[in-house]
Amino acid sequence: MAKVVPRPELDAWQRLYIGEIFKGLLTTLSHAARSLSDPAHFPTLQYPEQRPDIPRDYRARHRLMKRADGSPRCVACYMCSTACPARCIHIVAEESPDKHIEKRPARFEIDLLLCVFCGYCVEACPCDAIRMDTKQAVIVGDSRASFVLTKEQLLDWDPKDYPPDDVQSQKAPGGLLHEQALQELRSGTGH
Amino acid sequence: MFEWIAAHPYETIALLLVPAVPLLFFQLLPLLVVLERRGAAFIQDRPGPNRAGIPIPGLGFQLRAFGLIYNLCDFIKLAVKEDFVPRFAASRFYYVVGPFIPLIAGLILPAFIPVFAPIAYASGDGVAWLAGQGIASHSGLLALFAFAGLSAYGLVLGSWAANSKYALLGGLRASAMMISYEVAIGLAAAGMFLICGTFDLARIVAWQGEHVWGIIVQPLGFLLFTAAAFAESNRTPFDVVEGESEIVAGFHTEYGAMRFMLVMSAEYFHMLVAAALISTLFLGGYHLSPIPLPLGPDGAWVALDDRWMREHIGSVTAVLLIALALLALYAARLVERRRRHYVASGASDAARRGREYRFYTGLFLALAGLAGLAAWALWGWSEAPRIIAGTAVWGWKVDLLTAIVQFHILIAKTLCLAWLFVWVRWTLPRFRYDQIMALGWKVLLNAALVNLLLTALLVKLIG
Repeated sequence: MAKVVPRPELDAWQRLYIGEIFKGLLTTLSHAARSLSDPAHFPTLQYPEQRPDIPRDYRARHRLMKRADGSPRCVACYMCSTACPARCIHIVAEESPDKHIEKRPARFEIDLLLCVFCGYCVEACPCDAIRMDTKQAVIVGDSRASFVLTKEQLLDWDPKDYPPDDVQSQKAPGGLLHEQALQELRSGTGH
Repeated sequence: MFEWIAAHPYETIALLLVPAVPLLFFQLLPLLVVLERRGAAFIQDRPGPNRAGIPIPGLGFQLRAFGLIYNLCDFIKLAVKEDFVPRFAASRFYYVVGPFIPLIAGLILPAFIPVFAPIAYASGDGVAWLAGQGIASHSGLLALFAFAGLSAYGLVLGSWAANSKYALLGGLRASAMMISYEVAIGLAAAGMFLICGTFDLARIVAWQGEHVWGIIVQPLGFLLFTAAAFAESNRTPFDVVEGESEIVAGFHTEYGAMRFMLVMSAEYFHMLVAAALISTLFLGGYHLSPIPLPLGPDGAWVALDDRWMREHIGSVTAVLLIALALLALYAARLVERRRRHYVASGASDAARRGREYRFYTGLFLALAGLAGLAAWALWGWSEAPRIIAGTAVWGWKVDLLTAIVQFHILIAKTLCLAWLFVWVRWTLPRFRYDQIMALGWKVLLNAALVNLLLTALLVKLIG
């Protein structure tokens, strides 16, 4: 069944068109006048000098979380790469020198050109080792290879860019909770 | 030759006016482009094109000049692009000539428009007159319409020569528009001819100064003329000559680079001339007040005509300069508000842009100060005329100042009307082709005829 959208009935004054023209002109003039007098009225931003405020839970570029000694929290369990629908996470595991941990990643690569930014890897991780809270929504590169994030790139972040109540981030080297976390790690209670 | 110029300053000016007035009008084109782009943006709640800038060494900021730099970029880009003539062109000659016709025909038009009042000067024992228009002709308006109509030839020839069906359809539509609306535009103006009793634009303007503006005696005529002028300059809502969804870019589909720029500047120039013509016919041309004002001795009502203007030229200029100063102050306030907003937004180049905004504020404040000083100096100044053979002849100082003030009054009105063109374009959706033809032949033409009939009756009855 086709849905019939009735044409709006115009009265004689509206059919004359001229009055409606002036009404429309008033509408556009009020917009132009506000745009001229009030710069706060624009919903636009002067990108890239002005940047939109990206919320922390926006699924942006990935990062690997760090222990207090700077090593990745990742235990190379392959849960993220298994959960990944785009098959963009490539992990090569090696033996961990820590006797409490079985494996650690020798290589951990994410191909951002394949990634669909679904966040399943973050959901799948049992160790809170991978997150997508970098706020880095724009990723620029000049070759296909430059879009493949290495383990070092994923570990390259500063706790100062994260909120003080983000405990896991602040435990990393340079964070507010780093000293305390390092002592816990050395005494064997920090895993 | 120099002796002749020194001996005949007024005659020299009369000769110079022919090229000078069109060129002065041509200077307004960049302003019009900015008005269109930024006006469109402001109506749509966005800042519009504001990125292109020239870095100023030593001052540490980019001069963006409110988007004016974009004109420079556009010009350079279009000027250095490949000069392309399609292999399939029906006629290389007409393809090349086509875009020149509307621009050249358009460039003649401002010469017919009176930009200042005729100036009387002593010549031998008698008095001679310097017309305030490039080409002073008793059939001025008819000649203007004739040249304006010529531009359609350029569109039709160029579009046919391009050998593309989109271009040809656009050209045909342009000629159909010209035929349909030329009738209405002539009849809409005919009311003013009847009332003023002349085709001479200078005398029509003078009549408006002595009595009232045309819009007061011919409101319907003004409305019809404006609508028809929109159609004549192919502006929305009558822009069927171009149409992305129907005929690509219309008549200039196959034109690129400088040829495209010729076509576009001709279009804007025709819009400017249409605005100037509406100001001249219905908005008093270079006159200041739409009605007589009680400014005479003992509060008597006097018409603010050319003679009154010359008697009070110093004070009139001062009042206009004060208005200009107030406008500049308002502009400075707007710029300052923008600077505060931008700096507070924490943008990465806030310091650089802040300096630029400060520079503009300084410029506007300096302009306001200069205008105020000039107003203070000019207040109450005038010179008494000499009476030669029953005609008042003022000195060259009064003549020059009056001519400059009158020219700027006309330009101000023209720019306001140009804003009307832009404003309407970004308000109304375009008409369908059949709706345009119906409006032209069934509504505008008949309304113009009725208007003409009523005007003729009233003119006959009143005198």
